[in-house]
Amino acid sequence: MMRYVNIFIFVLIQALIISRIQLFDGLIIPLLYIFPLLMFPFETPRWLLLLVGLSTGVLMDLFTGPPGLHTSACLTLAFFQPIVQKLLSPREGYDSLQSPTIHKMGISWYLTYAGFLTFLHHAWLIFLEFLRWDNFLYQLLHILLSTLATLLLMILAQLLISPNKSK
Amino acid sequence: MSNLLALLQRYYVLLMFLILQVFALVTLFSENNFHRKEFIRHSSDFAGWIYEKRDNFTSYLRLSEINDQLALENAMLRSLLPENYLQLDSTSLQELNVKGQVLFKYTPAKVVNVTVSRKRNYITVNRGMAAGIEPEMGVIANGAIVGIVSSVSKHYSVIMPVLNTKFQGSVKMKNSGEFGILEWLGGDPEYAYVKEMPKHVYIQVGDSVVTTGYSSHFPEGIMVGKVETLEDKPEENFHRVKVKLETDYRKLGWVQLVKNIYKVEQDSIMQQQIQMDGGEE
Repeated sequence: MMRYVNIFIFVLIQALIISRIQLFDGLIIPLLYIFPLLMFPFETPRWLLLLVGLSTGVLMDLFTGPPGLHTSACLTLAFFQPIVQKLLSPREGYDSLQSPTIHKMGISWYLTYAGFLTFLHHAWLIFLEFLRWDNFLYQLLHILLSTLATLLLMILAQLLISPNKSK
Repeated sequence: MSNLLALLQRYYVLLMFLILQVFALVTLFSENNFHRKEFIRHSSDFAGWIYEKRDNFTSYLRLSEINDQLALENAMLRSLLPENYLQLDSTSLQELNVKGQVLFKYTPAKVVNVTVSRKRNYITVNRGMAAGIEPEMGVIANGAIVGIVSSVSKHYSVIMPVLNTKFQGSVKMKNSGEFGILEWLGGDPEYAYVKEMPKHVYIQVGDSVVTTGYSSHFPEGIMVGKVETLEDKPEENFHRVKVKLETDYRKLGWVQLVKNIYKVEQDSIMQQQIQMDGGEE
């Protein structure tokens, strides 16, 4: 239950606080609201994950931007999340009710996992928003720097939430 | 049949993903979609309410700045009082001011949310249908252009500012009177461009750019900005005029929504003419 409340809380934090932090005229925009989505336990049914992605996106679209933008990016994220988990699975497999966190999986595993998915989400979102290729280098820089900023915030958020609470 | 079911069972996640994705993309790209409009209408009421709560808190931190803006505007308005003008005799005054009719009506509103870093930025303000706000009304702040109302809910309106790549407005040079079209290409929120100004026209750097009054959203002569540089390209027949915008969107506190009382009349007579000519090309 707490997971679903978390989604709402993080969307609010994103819309009211983080979206106001626009470094270098919007070159870096961290999007932390996908964090609760990335925290869903391994082996969550894929249809459920898609629905959670859908609601995260719709909730975010309520606050900013043209409707459908965040929804589309979150759906893509929710679709690829289990695939990335499968690719990165350790030999003995996952503990099915575990959440992907730094405490449980280690920093390098987490950075690969979250880094890849965050990049995918940001790239999808930003290309969909601009829909043109003449600024390709700027957009790439925009995506990369925003991904780094989001990752940094995700790590900070996990350090702030104590390990026994994040189960 | 059982094969089909097996196939569905196998790929239902992919299928579900594709259906939802198509739905999201259709909402994103179709401008006149009914669901889209309803979504915007309801979401601006909900999000506007939350943004206003935040703004009630954060606006305390900017009070002195807002005070300055208001004081400046007060001084400007005071300078427009009739006492400041030479009194002409009553007959000519009456001609000037046709039966004292009001052309434009102003409603103040508080800005509750602004974005400047996206490609399509929007502003939310705390006045809506209940205060007589309608889509297509012009929006100004401190005597300078801000944008045009794009959608209205009961208590909130969403404004499309100049800082939106879909925005287009008719503007002219204050000194030479030459007109062109204002647009924003994304990126820096301080600069926009004026296009369709022919190359043979001389444009002075530093000249003011103001509204024309042709588009019926704004009164004539509302400040837009100052010419910063000319970024002409040899292969084009028109100037590419870079304009430093007067409005600082990152510090927007209060705006005024402008209603042109004769807008419907002005637009409908134009439509009639276009129809008589056999439609637009």
